[in-house]
Amino acid sequence: MINFIKKDRSLGVAKEKRKYDLPLNKGSGGSFLKILMGLMTILAIFALSASFSLSEMTERWSSGLENKATVEIPAEDNKGNIIEQVVVDKIALDIESFLKGHPDVETAEIMRPQEIKDLVSPWLGNEITFENVPLPGIVSIKFKDDKEINYTILESRLKSFGEHVRLDTHGTWLADLLKFTGALNFAAILISTLIGITTVVAVAGAVQARMAVYDEELELLHLMGAGDRYIANQLQRYSFITCLQGSAIGAIIGLILIFIIGWLLKQRDISLLPDFNLSFVQIIILIILPFFIGLLAMVTARQTVLRELSKMP
Amino acid sequence: MIKFEHVGLRYGVGPEVLSDINFTLEPGTFHFLSGPSGSGKTSLMSMLYLGRQPTRGLMSMFGKNVGQLNRQELKKLRQRIGVVFQDFRLLNHMSAFDNIALPLRISGQPEKEIRANVEELMEWVGLGDHRHMLPNTMSGGQQQRIAVARAVITRPKLLLADEPTGNLDDEIGLRLMNLFDQLNRMGTTVVIASHNTVLMQKFSQHDRIILDDGQAYLEKPQQTIKQRLGSMF
Repeated sequence: MINFIKKDRSLGVAKEKRKYDLPLNKGSGGSFLKILMGLMTILAIFALSASFSLSEMTERWSSGLENKATVEIPAEDNKGNIIEQVVVDKIALDIESFLKGHPDVETAEIMRPQEIKDLVSPWLGNEITFENVPLPGIVSIKFKDDKEINYTILESRLKSFGEHVRLDTHGTWLADLLKFTGALNFAAILISTLIGITTVVAVAGAVQARMAVYDEELELLHLMGAGDRYIANQLQRYSFITCLQGSAIGAIIGLILIFIIGWLLKQRDISLLPDFNLSFVQIIILIILPFFIGLLAMVTARQTVLRELSKMP
Repeated sequence: MIKFEHVGLRYGVGPEVLSDINFTLEPGTFHFLSGPSGSGKTSLMSMLYLGRQPTRGLMSMFGKNVGQLNRQELKKLRQRIGVVFQDFRLLNHMSAFDNIALPLRISGQPEKEIRANVEELMEWVGLGDHRHMLPNTMSGGQQQRIAVARAVITRPKLLLADEPTGNLDDEIGLRLMNLFDQLNRMGTTVVIASHNTVLMQKFSQHDRIILDDGQAYLEKPQQTIKQRLGSMF
């Protein structure tokens, strides 16, 4: 009974303080915009995280292979004849000794058979026994930082130890890999840009729809002497708050998903895939993303409102 | 204050709904605007509250040629005009208080001042205990009083009212007319569009603008001869 009286008393009474002169909080348009912004933000978080990870991976590969090269002594000669392991090991030792005496080389080290096995096992499997498989000799080289290396001369000197000896500077495949990651990075940035454009179009459309629905109220404000900026301020505030709310929820969901994906990748231990451990700065960028989307929505709403109001006399 | 010189109005490519309107309203005058349905009262009112620009002729308000004003100047002019619309045009998502306070908020008055002025006016129009009510839950008469209060809250230089007493009982109607009269005596120019001949007779001291077939005529108090405004000025 008491509840009934309370309810009855509140009938026809304004329930909340006035926020806007237009009934912007009524209808389902706001919820639609929130959901749309939430989904956009999740996509943007994915695209940006991918871009960050690819950049980090590129940086890791570039810096990891800088000033480095590998000398390979294949286990078979140019005619396809198998070379005895003893011979391969002898050539490797000779080359190591030669490189250690080279003025441009900082370190030269023969890779141990176990390390070579570890390298090839992901491709050949752990079950395979290497006893009857001839292993190539590999010598890792690190050049001095300030030296310009003439790889052609060095390779011709190395070939004096054996015609089939090869010098791999990683340059070719690294360039291809960098091109590939660059293309992926570009795609990620393109997706982020498209998300931005979609946000602008969606907000402009939503604001225009709202203005069409409330054209009588807008005309009333206009006739009372409300300036274009006065009206625009209300719609831009509404757009900012609505998009910020939707985007913040999207950012939380997106970040949770990113951390889950990162954790799953770590469990699989796939070293070639990008590391999903985002840096502090990158996490901050992702956290402020909703504010950026909110600001973008605010500016879009303002411009849309001012353009539409300019059609009024 | 308001001057119409050979003013005409047409909608799109249709015929002129108002043609060759000529009149001058001096500051502080009180006029009724009457005429049969379809005579162009609403169109003339919409030009007066700057909702529409004439398609020909010269219209000046407060000493300014309206056709040559920019948006900012038009906005300033509109803030000096109070309008009571026939259909009230109240904002139903806002309380009665906020509806009345709207013109003050638009003109940037401080909130403390707004509260005092609005509460005082609400008491005066007999809605002091309805400040939090939503307009669509109130009676037609109450809504009309809110519309009138909203129009006069800024003490406008020009007050335009379209059938302001239409939904009110005689007593309240008379009280509102007295409010308009009082505002007029304080210097506000008042134009009231009305069909109510009884009301116009009660306030027969005021001039009448009679619209008929797109033309405007002025009827002075106690005059029986219609005088075409165009020939007067």
